[in-house]
Amino acid sequence: MTTDSKIPGERFTGHGPEWREVKLSRRDANTATAWVEQVIDKRSMLTQKDRVDDVRDLMWQLEKEGEIVVHRVSDEHQPVMVKTLYGWDKKIPTTRLWHHKSCGQCGNIPGYPASLLWLMNKMGIEYLDETDQTSCTAWNYHGSGIGNIESLAAVFLRNFHQAYVAAKAQGLPASYYYPLVHCGTSFGNYKEVRGYLLRSAKLRESVTRILGKLGRLVDGKLLIPEEVVHYSEWLHVMRGQVANHQEIDCSHIRATIHPACHVYKMVPEDVVYDDDVLDGNRVAVSTGIMQSLGTQVIDYSTWYDCCGFGFRHIISEREFTRSFAIDRKLRVAQDEAHADVMIGHDTGCITTLDKNQWIGQATGKPVDVPVLADCQFAAMVCGAHPYKIVQSHWHASSTETLMEKLGIDWRAKKAEFEAYLKEVAAGRFESLYDPRRMVTSGPGYKRIEAAK
Amino acid sequence: MEHAGTRVQEFIGDPVSDTPPVDRKQLEAIFSDIQSDMRFDHELNGCLNCGICTATCPSAHYYDYSPREIVQLLWTENLEGIYDAMQEKIWACAQCYTCAARCPFGNSPGGLVMVMREVAIKHGMESAKNVLRPFSRVMLKLISTGNQLAPDMINKEGFPDWGPNISKVDAPLAILRKAIPMPTLHTTKTAWEVNLKTSVELYTIWEETGVLGSLKTIDKNLHDVIADIMEEKRDELEEWLEEQAEE
Repeated sequence: MTTDSKIPGERFTGHGPEWREVKLSRRDANTATAWVEQVIDKRSMLTQKDRVDDVRDLMWQLEKEGEIVVHRVSDEHQPVMVKTLYGWDKKIPTTRLWHHKSCGQCGNIPGYPASLLWLMNKMGIEYLDETDQTSCTAWNYHGSGIGNIESLAAVFLRNFHQAYVAAKAQGLPASYYYPLVHCGTSFGNYKEVRGYLLRSAKLRESVTRILGKLGRLVDGKLLIPEEVVHYSEWLHVMRGQVANHQEIDCSHIRATIHPACHVYKMVPEDVVYDDDVLDGNRVAVSTGIMQSLGTQVIDYSTWYDCCGFGFRHIISEREFTRSFAIDRKLRVAQDEAHADVMIGHDTGCITTLDKNQWIGQATGKPVDVPVLADCQFAAMVCGAHPYKIVQSHWHASSTETLMEKLGIDWRAKKAEFEAYLKEVAAGRFESLYDPRRMVTSGPGYKRIEAAK
Repeated sequence: MEHAGTRVQEFIGDPVSDTPPVDRKQLEAIFSDIQSDMRFDHELNGCLNCGICTATCPSAHYYDYSPREIVQLLWTENLEGIYDAMQEKIWACAQCYTCAARCPFGNSPGGLVMVMREVAIKHGMESAKNVLRPFSRVMLKLISTGNQLAPDMINKEGFPDWGPNISKVDAPLAILRKAIPMPTLHTTKTAWEVNLKTSVELYTIWEETGVLGSLKTIDKNLHDVIADIMEEKRDELEEWLEEQAEE
């Protein structure tokens, strides 16, 4: 950093007491950082490191040795193949999906999962949304440290076992549904945990005992998913089909993308890259769908930064969260990219970037960037109701501005929704699926015919 | 293992601090717990002090925190430094793993911080107790239902900096939730409706993996409240199973 570019009063910490400023001129500093700009945050930064092994090789070996059972992405799941960091193949199932919900999305921004299910209905995708699931518990773990590798592994295996057996409640065979993970943190955590499970016999032994106690083994063995799949990967491979349903032109919309840290910085070898999306230099999800929908995807210099969520910070260190969100993400997207919208693909990021704009206005640091998840934007331009389905009323950012730019009369839509609330109060509500299917065992379960 | 073998054999202490030095055996026990975690060797592979991790770290911008320092302390087995970092610094990490993505050695400073946080809890460190105090409600919700966040936790009182209205449409929370077209989300006290059997299974996981024990170390009252709630849920499930058997 140069002394002449320093903002008065700015102080950087965290370098340790031995750190000293180098006092380079601006020119020398630019020369010194040119290398960084060429190398850092590029795909090559990851591929030039020591290459890691593919844990799926271990997985197949363990199955061959009779130690585990692999839940396969089968032909019935109509998989689409994508390429990951090193050019490995990853199978993305496109139908018969078991929705592994996100506690943050469902609790705070429910239009996120609702938009995803709406898109699936639009394309005739078979799925199940049920009550027999917990969160991955990793938000709490990363925030508080309460939990451990055993508990995370046991939760992962329990939820994925339920995905495997859930169809039995409809009289369908096990392995009928394949789990689709909604949350980015769950996605990163599950992949990390799967890696440790496959590498450590000790961990497998301890969780086999626990899963056995829960009745969650298959033929006495742990069930490991062939692929851990994030919904954004599903949306990516379906982007062409989604675009076929598009009703609203968005070619004039300037979109910035916030890639989620736990989606692409954790277990980076499993992340989807596509040569047709940003030259294969960045994670392809979200950017791919926004390009397919015809928006202008605009770059900004801090695309690589996290959102500021911080797991515990958003709850108990809020000044950090809102400062980082505003100064490092939103203001940059607004001033550099003149963004009409910030698109994300994870729970914490959407919440952080969306909810922390109001305080900026209140404290003289105004930012105004509508924030939506990729599937919410996709649903909206495919004709989904912005309140009934996209549930934009839970968003604090100015989604109304975006709707106006898209030609949506949000006042009229809001009035429709308010009228609908009277129906809801009278007990008449609309559902994206048959509610009888949501309980698959235990109290409240009633067996029904297999429903498509 | 009685205690970890370390490269730093001389116990020096801080000659200018009035704080009495921490017992050497305690320092070794803490480091031994960190070092014996199965993730330790996977996430620490070496360090040349290049600082690329700190240069990109969001928390380093705002706190006296450096992932480079954390890695150096662990790599050089600086037991006093590790203990000192566990008092406050490790809680600054935002867990974004940008450091891990950039590290040329394949280290994961963020992952190492998680191991240190777990050990801080295990040893009942005051720092852990202070940090986790605001998390009581979250942990109660998570451990008893498997949901970290519930709609009724997001309110104007709890989040005044998120604006005057949690929803831009003014209606009772229960009605707004029923207007979500996913019946699993017609809830206010949990993010989605959680099957009773599911909650009980999750509680068994917490018990079997020692998480409840950790919670008891940090907050006994919270532990006892959760234990009572879960015993009731277990009884409820047992009764239901007995009724089913009779039918």
